[in-house]
Amino acid sequence: MIKSYVIIAFRSIRRNLSYAFLNVFGLTLGIAACLVIFLIVRNELSYDNYAKADRIYRVTLNAIDFNSNVSLAIAPKMRIDFPELEQVTQVMYSKEVMVKVGNNRFRDNDFAFADEHFISVFNFNWIAGDPKTALNEPNAIVLTETLSHKYFGDANPMGRVINIENQINAKVTGVIKDLPGNRSLPLQMIVSLETIKSQIKNNMDNFWNIGGGFFTFILLPPNSSIKNIQSKVPAFLRKNWSIEKDVRLPMQPIKDIHFDQRYINNVITPTSKSTYYALFGIAMLIIITACINFINLATAQAIKRSKEVGVRKVLGAMRSQLITQFMGETTVLVLIALILGVSTAALFLTQAGAWLNINIDARQLQEPLVIGIIAGLTIVIILLSGLYPSFVLSAFQPVSSLKSGSAGGFTRGFTLRKGLVVSQFAISQILIVGTLVVANQMDYFENQDLGFQKDAIISIYVPNEAKSEVLRQQLTSTPGVQQISFSSGAPSYANNATSFSAPAYGLTKDDVTNVKFVDENYTDMFGLKMLAGEKIRKVPATDTIQNFVVNETLVHKLGIMDPRKAVGVHLTVNGRDATIMGVVQDFQEESKHKKIRACVLQYRAQNFYRACIKIQPSAITKTIDNIGKSWSKLFPDNLFQYQFLDEHIASFYAQEQKVYTAFKLFSGIAILIGCLGLYGLIAFAASQRTKEVGIRKVLGAPIMSIVALFSKEFILLITVAFFIAGPIGYYAMHSWLQNYAYHINIGAGIFVISIAASVIIAAITISYQAIKAALVNPVKSLRSE
Amino acid sequence: MIKITNLEKFYRTEEVETIALNKLSIEVKTGEFVAIMGPSGCGKSTLLNILGMLDDPDEGSYVFNGIEVAHFTERKRADLRKHNIGFVFQSFNLIDELTVFENVELPLIYTGVPSAERVKRVEEVLDKMQIMHRRNHYPQQLSGGQQQRVAIARAVVNKPKLILADEPTGNLDSSNGNDVMELLTDLNEQGTTIIMVTHSEHDARYSHRIIRLLDGQSVVENIMV
Repeated sequence: MIKSYVIIAFRSIRRNLSYAFLNVFGLTLGIAACLVIFLIVRNELSYDNYAKADRIYRVTLNAIDFNSNVSLAIAPKMRIDFPELEQVTQVMYSKEVMVKVGNNRFRDNDFAFADEHFISVFNFNWIAGDPKTALNEPNAIVLTETLSHKYFGDANPMGRVINIENQINAKVTGVIKDLPGNRSLPLQMIVSLETIKSQIKNNMDNFWNIGGGFFTFILLPPNSSIKNIQSKVPAFLRKNWSIEKDVRLPMQPIKDIHFDQRYINNVITPTSKSTYYALFGIAMLIIITACINFINLATAQAIKRSKEVGVRKVLGAMRSQLITQFMGETTVLVLIALILGVSTAALFLTQAGAWLNINIDARQLQEPLVIGIIAGLTIVIILLSGLYPSFVLSAFQPVSSLKSGSAGGFTRGFTLRKGLVVSQFAISQILIVGTLVVANQMDYFENQDLGFQKDAIISIYVPNEAKSEVLRQQLTSTPGVQQISFSSGAPSYANNATSFSAPAYGLTKDDVTNVKFVDENYTDMFGLKMLAGEKIRKVPATDTIQNFVVNETLVHKLGIMDPRKAVGVHLTVNGRDATIMGVVQDFQEESKHKKIRACVLQYRAQNFYRACIKIQPSAITKTIDNIGKSWSKLFPDNLFQYQFLDEHIASFYAQEQKVYTAFKLFSGIAILIGCLGLYGLIAFAASQRTKEVGIRKVLGAPIMSIVALFSKEFILLITVAFFIAGPIGYYAMHSWLQNYAYHINIGAGIFVISIAASVIIAAITISYQAIKAALVNPVKSLRSE
Repeated sequence: MIKITNLEKFYRTEEVETIALNKLSIEVKTGEFVAIMGPSGCGKSTLLNILGMLDDPDEGSYVFNGIEVAHFTERKRADLRKHNIGFVFQSFNLIDELTVFENVELPLIYTGVPSAERVKRVEEVLDKMQIMHRRNHYPQQLSGGQQQRVAIARAVVNKPKLILADEPTGNLDSSNGNDVMELLTDLNEQGTTIIMVTHSEHDARYSHRIIRLLDGQSVVENIMV
């Protein structure tokens, strides 16, 4: 019996190859997309799943804002005042360093100095070296497997020497397996903190001396509560630094780091969990769409199958036997799609890592959990897509299905199909709205309302400020260089922050302001708009008077609404008296996730670490090449590196970019699957109405009116779908936008585009079949009836 | 074997009620070969459907082999049907996806006959119908006459007590038609009761008795000599 079901399943697939293809293709895409989404979501939601993750907390600072970085002073004091903690450890992280191995020079990412306790908190997988002692001595370095291969090939790396930034010679004391990609503190090289003990002595007792990349972690003993630690923090602050109020040290669970968007100075920009729930939702929608296709195509074929059902019933088939038979056919199709889908996912995953900037690979498909998910998904798909058609088909009455070749339940099925098509259109439209909103927001992030120029500007590092003047002269004479400005960083680069107050304007308590050290060309080159007073000009190094240009936000904090009235006002910045010499219009100093903060600009040559160069757009490659040559002559011990400003700005939104890419891809897939179903449905409708079309043509109907006959109904369905999709899309995307301090407004345009897009998509899908049906010679279509 | 009394069947649409069978009473004895004739719309097919337990009557009684089946559930009717009745249709109604062998095997599958036994019986009947050489062909590869032989093979493979034939020669030329009628006659002579709906006086002559219907009522019965 089962054999007969399988045989007939395959034969009926062969006979209706185009429907089977549409079904299997749709399901294949759906299954592949779901698996990829599942792995992406799982990767993100399992950030920082270290073995002891439940007991690891990051010590953070909440004074004015939430800062991931804390002073190096905290860890040693915590060891004394919190003896109940199993470990306290601190690291100093750098995004990249220059490494010299023998005569080879490299620039590599994810470097840290860490104390000897670090290893026992995070439990890496050791390939060589002793975890107990690897970081105990000065000048010891632990490498990942990948870097070890890069530097030493297959040779034993242990005991070999690596030079860091021309300053430190470190001996390899350990090799660890590469960290998974989902770590908030990615690491490739760890040098013992002992190595730089003398350099960081000053940092070790000042609570407010907070450097970028300074992280402190604690490891709680098993079965104890963080609340007990947290409650002792105020006394701890009072005892060691006489800090009485307005400062907290929140102990942040390590698994929250990736999702807590309040924090600044993270290595990896935190992301919102809801994004991944949304992605998961898309996966559901994709599967539903694929199942709807299945139901639509299967019930549409009901007429064809009704004779078979009738015959089988006459010959004594029970309804349950027919249901089993049709479920069997569904199972065969789903299993084919499953095999293809898993293969597609595996193929895609080999590329997806780089493309979506996420660390997943095809091997994860073999994990028991993933296999379990695949099995579950298969069963759900079989039931979702098989049950309804099986019940409908098996319900046909033999008398009517044999007599007329039509099926009793068919009219009802058609109404249901309309409902399903409406849901498919609604799903497409929601996804179109979503994609458009994300696209507009991405454009807004990177291009709109920045308040400064970013095009064709590169930023390079100046290793030695004393050589700035020589560098400037050389660059000025380089063809293709249009403008040069030295500063602590471009408008969008990480800021130094300091405290300021203005008692005369009611600001008695210290507030925080960003500080940028900029030269006299900065304002013009970046096109900053002065609202009042003068722009920054060159000041001799001996000049001790502090003159600042401030932004509008700072002026507003003083309660001054007219920028002109702010010029000449005195402030206290970093404890010293300063005068406002000019007011600049607000510009985007950080990402648009956050509100613009107060900012002051000051001329101070010793802090000009970076040169920004505006290049003639027509000769970018050649000019950068020449800049690199001049630079390398001046700084022979260093590697030339540059970054385009617009790329740097885009990097703020790497997470959003990732989501956007995923959104585009998966919405596209969902829409495509919907189209497949629609195509099948209209093809079927056309074949059913051949006779009607023939009669209409004999009576003189023009081709266009036949095409309209097929299109009219779908236009109506699209409209109905829009009334469902519009509000849902608006609500969902409106809530998403609330994640950002600066965001677009969802205008009517987006909805107009989305309904137009679905009409166009439907029209393209329908037109081929409709025109084909309309062009058939009526003699032929009537005869074939 | 069959006794129907005052059988009524109506077809209702929103506006009209059509009477298909009007207090019809007929009796068919075991071993008889009965032809039912009448103009289009006289209720022949309705009667055959009810006799075949594919449809149920609105009023009246239908006793099959001593059992009242007029108000049986679908499940019980199906059960009774698959063990006792074989069908032959004008349009053959073979399943296109199945081979000749598989089409004939189908009723045996549904009555739960074990596989080895099925092969034996199917081969037996195919042999008898002289279409053994076509066993692995699909219906669309056969001529009309051959398809009807397959359909008859399928109808008799379960050794039913009753065969209901709905214009079995309607889609065939006269030579193939005669062959089919000979087959039915043979079956009848071996003891199978046959009830056949037909428009053809020629075919009707193969039967023992002709029941002529008009407007859902039996008007004449001709006994053949």
